[in-house]
Amino acid sequence: MSIKIALAGNPNTGKTTLFNALTGSDQYVGNWPGVTVEKKEGRLGGQKDVIIQDLPGIYSLSPYSLEEKVSRQYLVEEKPDAILNIVDGTNLDRNLYLTTQLAELGLPMMVAVNMMDVVKRNGDTIDFACIGKALHCQVVGIAAQKGDGCNEAATTLVSKIASHGAPEVPHVFGGSVEHALAHIEESIQTLVPKHAIRWYAIKLFERDRDVIKRLGLGVGDLKHIEEHIRDCEKELEDDAESIITSQRYEFIKKLTDKALKKNAKKKETPPLSDRIDRIVTHSVFALPLFVLMLCAMWFLAVADCGPGTLLTDWANDGFLGTESWTLPFTSIEVPGLGALLASGLERIGCGETVRSLVIDGAWGGVATVLGFVPVITIVFLFLSFLEDCGYMARVAFIMDRLFRKFGLSGKSFIPILVGKGCGVPAVMSTRTIENERDHRMTAILATFVPCGAKTVIIAMFASVFFRDQWYVAPLMDVIGIAIIILGGIALKKSSFFAGEAAPFIMELPAYHLPTAKGVVLHTWNRVRGYVLKAGLVIFPVCVALWCVMHFDWHLNLLAEEEIERSILRELGGAVAWFFAPLGVGTWQGAAASVTAELAKEQATATLQLMAGGEEGIAALFGTFSSFPRVAALSFLVFNLFVPPCIVAVVATFREMGSQKWGWFAVAFQMFVGYTLALSIYQFGCLFAGGGFSAWLVPTVIVDLFVLWAVFRRGAKQGTNDE
Amino acid sequence: MPLAMMKKGEKARIMTIKGTDTVKKHLGALGFVQGAVVTIVQLSYGNMILGIHDSRIAINDDLAKRILVQAA
Repeated sequence: MSIKIALAGNPNTGKTTLFNALTGSDQYVGNWPGVTVEKKEGRLGGQKDVIIQDLPGIYSLSPYSLEEKVSRQYLVEEKPDAILNIVDGTNLDRNLYLTTQLAELGLPMMVAVNMMDVVKRNGDTIDFACIGKALHCQVVGIAAQKGDGCNEAATTLVSKIASHGAPEVPHVFGGSVEHALAHIEESIQTLVPKHAIRWYAIKLFERDRDVIKRLGLGVGDLKHIEEHIRDCEKELEDDAESIITSQRYEFIKKLTDKALKKNAKKKETPPLSDRIDRIVTHSVFALPLFVLMLCAMWFLAVADCGPGTLLTDWANDGFLGTESWTLPFTSIEVPGLGALLASGLERIGCGETVRSLVIDGAWGGVATVLGFVPVITIVFLFLSFLEDCGYMARVAFIMDRLFRKFGLSGKSFIPILVGKGCGVPAVMSTRTIENERDHRMTAILATFVPCGAKTVIIAMFASVFFRDQWYVAPLMDVIGIAIIILGGIALKKSSFFAGEAAPFIMELPAYHLPTAKGVVLHTWNRVRGYVLKAGLVIFPVCVALWCVMHFDWHLNLLAEEEIERSILRELGGAVAWFFAPLGVGTWQGAAASVTAELAKEQATATLQLMAGGEEGIAALFGTFSSFPRVAALSFLVFNLFVPPCIVAVVATFREMGSQKWGWFAVAFQMFVGYTLALSIYQFGCLFAGGGFSAWLVPTVIVDLFVLWAVFRRGAKQGTNDE
Repeated sequence: MPLAMMKKGEKARIMTIKGTDTVKKHLGALGFVQGAVVTIVQLSYGNMILGIHDSRIAINDDLAKRILVQAA
């Protein structure tokens, strides 16, 4: 029979590190039933029948967030065989608050005090035996980052399950509360499992609605319990919930006074983390620093002489190219993958058509997308580093003031930052926002920040059209943020979204230098997803596109110059009118934008397929408009800010909760992207000397409507500030 | 007085937290209970980073008005 151990602890305690150390690569990641909270399971290294269940990081067993709800449900209803509680040794008081609650569940438990290396470096000492005695469980010290003591803790816990029965639960409350709890326990002893009776009693004392409903107590019992709670509240002059919370902390305070010996000499200088925060969260410097950070990322990824461009050029022209390249510092010539593929086809004697399908169709598109792996990797490396070192939480704090102006909290900024990488997890991460209105609004707005795949389009247009305008790439991020802000203001003024945002409470973990292994693993997981998509989506789409480009409706194979008769030309031509006011009203522009809905980076693959390589794209836009660079900017903006790829749209529908809201989101996003591209092209041509166009009239009307939506007086119940 | 009136670097002892909603419960779990001492680590247009029990918790100005404290 297999043993299940639940790994529980506060966020930012090194729980994931411990989980990885215990399970190695033997992990299974899924979702908790019915919700989008991640569920991770793994087998304890060397012990095939021991399953470690990683619970989300939580502060307590009173459900505030969805994570806490899920964890509590698992611990109470599914009843694991044991709990391994990870505790941050540098923040004992707060962490032990959860520990006391876990202990009341009456399951075998072990407390692993993490960060013992830091505790020792600070010169502090922790008396494990003292804590263990008070909480009736074993306490050990570990250093998860270094792997010290992790496996020992788990194996000791496993052996304890076999030898001991249910442990005795600690009594942490004062006399009058204990008296009330005893009475409650008496009246529910037939209704709940014996080991967890104390936990249920405390929850009833707190008047926890879920538990009251689940137990289905009779009116008489409830009245009896209520009397005892009232007596207690009267005696202690506080409400029941606050009494429980305060007394827990009092108990912990007494315990840590005994068990934790702080180094008296230290503490004079404020911790490094606070000194960094003085600058990073400074009321004046914070925003410029953040913008600087974005610019640095863009320099590394797409600037003309930055490492990203150098690597991309090498990937496109060398590694994946159709010619050979020279190994650095040597004179060894290595053939590019495209060249290898071509010569391979030649050797097995393929005809010209098959060669064209494989090289121009399938390989051309896939190689375009793979060529951007260096850029994507740099962006993801940067994001993973910022996330792992603790800066992300500060960004949420910095942004809260700004976001509150249009009725969102800084927490909405985290999905937006995740959206820098990929829109799908971004939309899914909006679930952590408790308020339903904030949740929906964030899901609509989060995908406006250019994601990794959109970065590919930006990078290509930057290198083809805007080599001398380094600011175009970061400008796209700025536009994305501006849309989120103005869109937020406009939505908040409509009657659907009026109302205050939920208050902002967020723990800021201490800054620390992430381990190289952690950042690389984090980045690799994301890059792998991108590469897989190149295989699973881009490859079939490119093959299909090649086919509609090279066949007419009668399935006759066409020569290169007969493309005007192809199926694609007709399909694209049928919807081209929609794109005409944007300056890309040709079948090519239409085909690129429509296929981009399958996966955004497909826009680059489709364009290059039709232009016959990246070099041809500038010329292709020359045929679209007499102002090719304006048309290019309009096309770029259109593809970035219309609804995201189909995968993200599906995720948005799920988060919005209904078809109606889902379509609302898509319509809103379409309106924004189209209006922006329209304005850029029409005004761009006007300023570039294109003279008056009839399209300027509807453009101005739509723009005025946007201004009205943003600046009008809000609907009733709107935000009070400003 | 409300926590919102304190200045950067000052210490305060929590007297009570107004309201009875889930936010109050969540604050409790994070260590905001009667008698706990908080340090104002950073102040940015009314939003605060607070030091409490060796951790750093960021809250916005509306919450800072709901937490009543005494200088410590």
